[in-house]
Amino acid sequence: MKLTRRQLVAVLAPAAALAQTQPAEDALAAAKAKVKATSDALAKLDLPMSTEPAFQFRA
Amino acid sequence: MAAISEDLFFAGIAELNRRLVAREFPAEELARAFAERLERLGPRYNALALPLREQALRQAKQVDGDLKRGRLRGPLQGIPYGVKDLLSYAGQPTTWGARPYAGQVFDFNATVIDKLAGVGSVIVGKLAMVELAGGGGYSTAAASLFGPGLNPWDRTCWAGGSSSGSAAAVAAGLVPFALGSETSGSIVTPASFCGVTALRPTYGLVSRHGAMALSWTLDKIGPFGRSAEDCGLILQAIAGKDNADPGSAGKSFYYTPQYARQLKELRIGYAPADFNERADPSARAAFQAALVVFQEAGAQLIETKLPDHPFGAVLSAVLAGEAGSIFEPLIASGKVNELADPVQIAGLKASQDVAAKDYLKAMRLRRIIQQDVQQLFADFDALLTTGRSGPAVKIDQPLDKPAPGEWQPAPGAPAGFQGIVPMGNLAGLPALVLPCGFAQNLPVALQVVGAPFSENALLSIGKDFQARTDWHKRRPPV
Repeated sequence: MKLTRRQLVAVLAPAAALAQTQPAEDALAAAKAKVKATSDALAKLDLPMSTEPAFQFRA
Repeated sequence: MAAISEDLFFAGIAELNRRLVAREFPAEELARAFAERLERLGPRYNALALPLREQALRQAKQVDGDLKRGRLRGPLQGIPYGVKDLLSYAGQPTTWGARPYAGQVFDFNATVIDKLAGVGSVIVGKLAMVELAGGGGYSTAAASLFGPGLNPWDRTCWAGGSSSGSAAAVAAGLVPFALGSETSGSIVTPASFCGVTALRPTYGLVSRHGAMALSWTLDKIGPFGRSAEDCGLILQAIAGKDNADPGSAGKSFYYTPQYARQLKELRIGYAPADFNERADPSARAAFQAALVVFQEAGAQLIETKLPDHPFGAVLSAVLAGEAGSIFEPLIASGKVNELADPVQIAGLKASQDVAAKDYLKAMRLRRIIQQDVQQLFADFDALLTTGRSGPAVKIDQPLDKPAPGEWQPAPGAPAGFQGIVPMGNLAGLPALVLPCGFAQNLPVALQVVGAPFSENALLSIGKDFQARTDWHKRRPPV
């Protein structure tokens, strides 16, 4: 698809603006909420006590 | 001597090497042609991080000297290539795609770059990427020091991330092959969006020494190329034991297509919903036609399910826990605020809250996931699904939530292999991306996933599929 420079600028401007739309505090609150949601999801799962972590991970 | 033609920019490794060895053109001329093309067209796609023309010409001259003396070093000799800018190249900037590291210079090469130099490959440039390979999570394609990665098939669309430049550069014929990396989706996504063949190797098969660490237990380096065969040749050169990488599996890789089993001998697990209800409606015809290719080749396609685990949550905890530790100095110094994407800044800051109990629980669950995946591969030679459920998204589309009007699977749609990317990365599985058609004039791709160290099986599946189709040979309107 061929684009003129002007058309490309018109496309890219919203992409750059999108990165600036969310206030930092809101973004941090949302990110912390994600960490909490992950923690809650993991807390619901039972594991045998003998299960060791995959340290020295090997495929 | 033959001139460098447009067709040559899209030739495979074997053809380029054959013509170099036949002295149809010197390696120096080939390197100059690719370096010029990368410098001229790379910025059109925000794909170029750093041109390395001088170094390339020096290396290529040595190759010409070797060829003149009959010193043949294998199929990659004299082949130009590019690397994602998370790999260190001595004395040159290695930015990791992020403003806080814009002036960073290492005094050593990444192991994979040294290995490629050893077989005579010629590095022509470093390629753009999403900042910090997306660590912390990103919300926009603009999350990069180099600007949003633009798709060579349509510059209003994203090239995918985080190995954006690697995929775009191969797709546009700016390099014959490139190296990228994947922690969770960073090879599979850009390869699918740009319509190039790419391989995510088994964890530990390719050294990460000299690569930016995002997650010690998830990071992999892998090739983007023109075909499955090219990926096999590249993997053979870059794989192998490296004492400098604590995650190294200590294994080599020899590409052996001559011993490959035929498709009709293979049991391939799949979920029909991936090719139908869970696929973007515009891509379903291409995906289903690809399934027919497998069926007509006699492959045994057997419906199956993935083990039932919260792959996304487990991967999030592992990745956030490890990235939070790796980038603690960046976060503590406040320089994290120089990143382009506020969502990524926030994600990295929040990673400092990941509790040890959650990281450890995720790593314990990971062991169970590995066991269940191992059990799954007792019944199957490979799993087949889509690379992404549809074509590349628009460049201004938010990446952390659905855009207004964006197609989503219906509530209650079968799960299919949803979760195969985090599952595959948690279990360290290899995956091969194969272009399989078009939707909305953009490429779409398949993803073939195998047991650890089953790269030869995946590559033989890919080679067979590509012998029956020509999607991997299609070129964007550069």
